[in-house]
Amino acid sequence: MMTGAAAAQIMEHAKTTPHHVRIAINNLDFYYGTSKALKSVNLPLYANKATAFIGPSGCGKSTLLRVLNRMYDLYPGQRATGEVVLDGENILKPGLDLNLLRARVGMVFQKPTPFPMSIYDNIAFGVRLYEKLNKSEMDERVQRSLEKAALWKEVKDKLNASGLSLSGGQQQRLCIARTVAVKPEVILFDEPCSALDPISTAKIEELIDELTSDYTIAIVTHNMQQAARVSQHTAFMYLGELIEFGETNGIFTSPQDKRTQDYITGRFG
Amino acid sequence: MSIPMTQTGSDSAARARQLRSLKAGDTAFYWATRLAAYAVLLLLGGIIISLIIGAWPALKAYGVDFLTTQRWAPSAQPAPILGGLSPIYGTLVSSFIAMLIAVPVGLGIAIFLTELCPPALRRPIGMAVELLAGIPSIIYGMWGFFVLGPFLANTFQPWVIARCAGIPILQDIFAGPASNLSLFNASLILAIMVLPFITAIAKDVFETVPPVLKEAAYGIGCTTWEVVKNVVIPYTRVGVIGGVMLALGRALGETMAVTFVIGNSFKISESIFAPATTISSAIASEFAESDGLHQSGLILLGLLLFVLTFFVLSAARLMLMRLEIKAGK
Repeated sequence: MMTGAAAAQIMEHAKTTPHHVRIAINNLDFYYGTSKALKSVNLPLYANKATAFIGPSGCGKSTLLRVLNRMYDLYPGQRATGEVVLDGENILKPGLDLNLLRARVGMVFQKPTPFPMSIYDNIAFGVRLYEKLNKSEMDERVQRSLEKAALWKEVKDKLNASGLSLSGGQQQRLCIARTVAVKPEVILFDEPCSALDPISTAKIEELIDELTSDYTIAIVTHNMQQAARVSQHTAFMYLGELIEFGETNGIFTSPQDKRTQDYITGRFG
Repeated sequence: MSIPMTQTGSDSAARARQLRSLKAGDTAFYWATRLAAYAVLLLLGGIIISLIIGAWPALKAYGVDFLTTQRWAPSAQPAPILGGLSPIYGTLVSSFIAMLIAVPVGLGIAIFLTELCPPALRRPIGMAVELLAGIPSIIYGMWGFFVLGPFLANTFQPWVIARCAGIPILQDIFAGPASNLSLFNASLILAIMVLPFITAIAKDVFETVPPVLKEAAYGIGCTTWEVVKNVVIPYTRVGVIGGVMLALGRALGETMAVTFVIGNSFKISESIFAPATTISSAIASEFAESDGLHQSGLILLGLLLFVLTFFVLSAARLMLMRLEIKAGK
């Protein structure tokens, strides 16, 4: 159980930092059927900051990420209680427009997931759902998104090629471009580099760093160096509980909890 | 502690014997499977050859005219006059209408079952569709004859005929008199019969779409319909088309149910409410009492059906290949 002291410390942190809180997670419980996967999690996600979720497999960090865009809603038997406040609105409330929420809270997955269509359409597809753009506006949006994802130079001469024809790292950047194109406020990364080679990984990390200036970012990662490189804040989770949250530097240099220390020094997990 | 690198003499001899006996099994297995595979080729070739031999007299007597002649008069004097146009037309049109109905409905059921259905309903509906595939075709034929036919003739057809009167083209396609046994009745029965094939295959291939791909589409704000239209169907279209072609193959060759309800008329009518005939139903209803050139003509029809089905499957293959090239795979 997260101690009252830890929760208080987190809330204190949220109050005292100068950062604007984009998402506030309050007393969040999550259930897969009857088994409880998240236990009263309290956590702020700051605007224009990257927050890393770390912890051993099965600790609930991906689950937490999937609550933030209600992806769990696709599957019967999964439910969340508590509060997740995005810009003053509780996104767990019934009747919320999920499609709109997911346009505001974009997600990049573990494996690259280009749609079975051309590179251009991979990006234009999401935009067309919400905006009526003419050809030149759309061309510009596609280009800007690809530039943001540092992919434009590599694909500008083959926008009509299938998204599936790109390499793994390029596909992942295409997915990031696609996510950026619908102008989200928050981008969730679920282990975005675990299927990529080191060079592609470095590119994606650099990209996440750049995106932080425009978006609120949450990233799940198994790679502690990655968390240290790309995030400003880190949340350590263990067995469905949030154990410790704070500025990344602090977490990695002077963890308060024994379990955090054991994990980041590689003693378990 | 060292690991013994060689086994003792008697041990290795026993091991070699054992390996030899395994190897004999391997060889036997190889030949058994290989012969089974060759047997298929042999059977296929044998069937084609015997069809050609059987059809030869008719082929010699009528030649290409067989394809363009509508008249089917096996007892004409001095020689029977036989033309395959009517059964070929009936086969193609009845299958086409059946697919027109069954493809959207079958895909709709599959989409509902995989994407939208509450879990409690999924099994019962899925099983009902599978049971539909298990009903023997003769039962469909009887149902079409005793239940569907009278309903169509007394209620549905008069209604449609009245609505379409005066509208060009439609008034010819849906023209009276209403009839129990008709091309349309056969098409409906065929549609119901191939529906489970389309649904079962579409359902299986829809389930192969990686959940994460669907999540990605939902993740940029797609509705279920948009996910199905833009991700699920493009991702699975090769499998879906395969299923549709399999169903079409079945519709083209279906015999018993169609023979019951199509009316076996060799006159080609513009109206789909009029009786017609198909290749397989013509063969089934006449073969027992046929001889000589008449029988040879029926075998020639069978050969044509064979060719027709072959072309449908080849066309499907070709289409799939081009789709795959286009998709960049």
